[in-house]
Amino acid sequence: MSTIRAGSPAAFWLALPAGLWMVVAVVLPVLLIVWVSLWGGQSVSPDSPITFDNYAHFLANENYRWLILDTLGQAAMIMAITGVLGYCIAYFLTVKLTSPGWRTALFLAFVIPFWTSTLIRAIAFVPFLGVNGLLNQLLISLGLIERPIQAFLYSRLGISMAQVSLYTLLASGPVVYMLSSIPPALREAAMTLKAPPIIVFWRIILPLTLPGIVIGQVLVFLNVLADFITVTTVGGNKLAFLGNLILLFYEGSQIRSTAVVSVLLMILMLAGVAVALRVVDIRKLGS
Amino acid sequence: MHWKTRSRLTGWLLGILTVGFLLFQWAPMFTMFTLSFAGENGGTTFPMNGVSLHWYQKLWEADLFDDFKPPMLRSFLLALGCSATTVVLSVCAAQAMRGRFRGNGLYFYLLLLGLMAPGILVGFGFAILTRLLGIEGTWNTTAYVVHVSWALPFGFLTMLAVFNRFDPKLEEAALTLGADRVTAFRRITWPIILPGVIGTALFGFSLSYDEYARTLFTVGSDGTLPLAVMAQLDRQLTPELYAIGSVTTAMSLVVIALCSIGFWLRARALRGRPA
Repeated sequence: MSTIRAGSPAAFWLALPAGLWMVVAVVLPVLLIVWVSLWGGQSVSPDSPITFDNYAHFLANENYRWLILDTLGQAAMIMAITGVLGYCIAYFLTVKLTSPGWRTALFLAFVIPFWTSTLIRAIAFVPFLGVNGLLNQLLISLGLIERPIQAFLYSRLGISMAQVSLYTLLASGPVVYMLSSIPPALREAAMTLKAPPIIVFWRIILPLTLPGIVIGQVLVFLNVLADFITVTTVGGNKLAFLGNLILLFYEGSQIRSTAVVSVLLMILMLAGVAVALRVVDIRKLGS
Repeated sequence: MHWKTRSRLTGWLLGILTVGFLLFQWAPMFTMFTLSFAGENGGTTFPMNGVSLHWYQKLWEADLFDDFKPPMLRSFLLALGCSATTVVLSVCAAQAMRGRFRGNGLYFYLLLLGLMAPGILVGFGFAILTRLLGIEGTWNTTAYVVHVSWALPFGFLTMLAVFNRFDPKLEEAALTLGADRVTAFRRITWPIILPGVIGTALFGFSLSYDEYARTLFTVGSDGTLPLAVMAQLDRQLTPELYAIGSVTTAMSLVVIALCSIGFWLRARALRGRPA
């Protein structure tokens, strides 16, 4: 017995507002994008005939095909870096670090920037990476380089550095959650049975944290694919990925082309999520 | 090498990596913060050319073109509205999930969809919707609807987690003692889930306050703070942007700190109470 009866009409009515809100603000708009991407003919209106011409037209352009691959490549690179880095940090914070005070302090230092504006964080990379930026000054004063490196800012390198900084938490968080839910007895049992630490990690810890890794990778994948803010602020206007193309078309009032790129982006994302779901069952995470 | 030595060595290596990453994560913000105090002739990079509050003063006395105060006020009000709405909808939705209505599995995925769908798609799609309906977008109508849809999944998941750990025996006791369901919810359930509710409110506020992509497509002519910042960045990068960045970052940090202190005080008060 609780304040709500199972299967009661009250439950349905309580659920309705949030459900309707999501349908109107998310589901319907996404379906509309798919519809608009199929509009053909001369005039851009709901009366347009349905056609796949927009897609054929877009994919016929070699530059755009390359852009899709380039975006996926960028995502793969950031996933690899944040995956390894995020796992190392998660492992250190939950397993290696034994002092509770230090753990809380470092964990807060890791998480707090997530609560501040991504846009501001991206902009902050401009004075950090610039020719007279902090990073160059640091490298020069350490004697590692003689002249400032220009290629940090407004380049793929700069974008990648910013994205790694922004998204490592997404890759790391789920792993922290999985690592902290492994009972210490498991590790002790394996150690008692004379398994060397590397085997304990490889055969016990890693498989148990695999769902966390996959969820983290999905989050990073989705975020890098849709990221256009970091690319514009840190990359200047020299580089573009699919997200920037959407914005570019939209600002040029090319609604149908915007919709086409949006749908392609959506397909890539759904494919990524589908692959991840084949590896782990997300629903089991809650239990 | 003995495995214990090796284990300690990995510990140190991972520790160095972690601290290195944390420094890398904080350094840009630190740079921005430092440069926001640059002198009047200070540029957007080092050297600083003096130390002053000039750029903060400029922020305050801004002229028409780069006045950040109206967008900031809009952002603040929008975030408050989004926060309140998210709290109400999330608590209702999570409470409904406990009632296991028909189709609650599908409902769960419907709400999670808002988490997965990227802002650029939701924003663009909603812009199409309003255009087809002939509605003019503004910050407190269309942008508000989209902002709530972004914060709602976070609030919903928070509240689900809170209700998962909730002991229904407490409600049972109240109901057995003759309280009706509404009273039991108000007097027993609500105070217990309150920390989760505050967390939800915090999500609702900060997700809305910092949102860029969704706002860009739906806001109309009067923009919010992130849009004003981006517009200024397009025109010219000045230390004034660093000042506004520092101010908003500081504001976020203060809100987190206040909430943490609130949680801590509450936990201490509860511990002190006789069982």
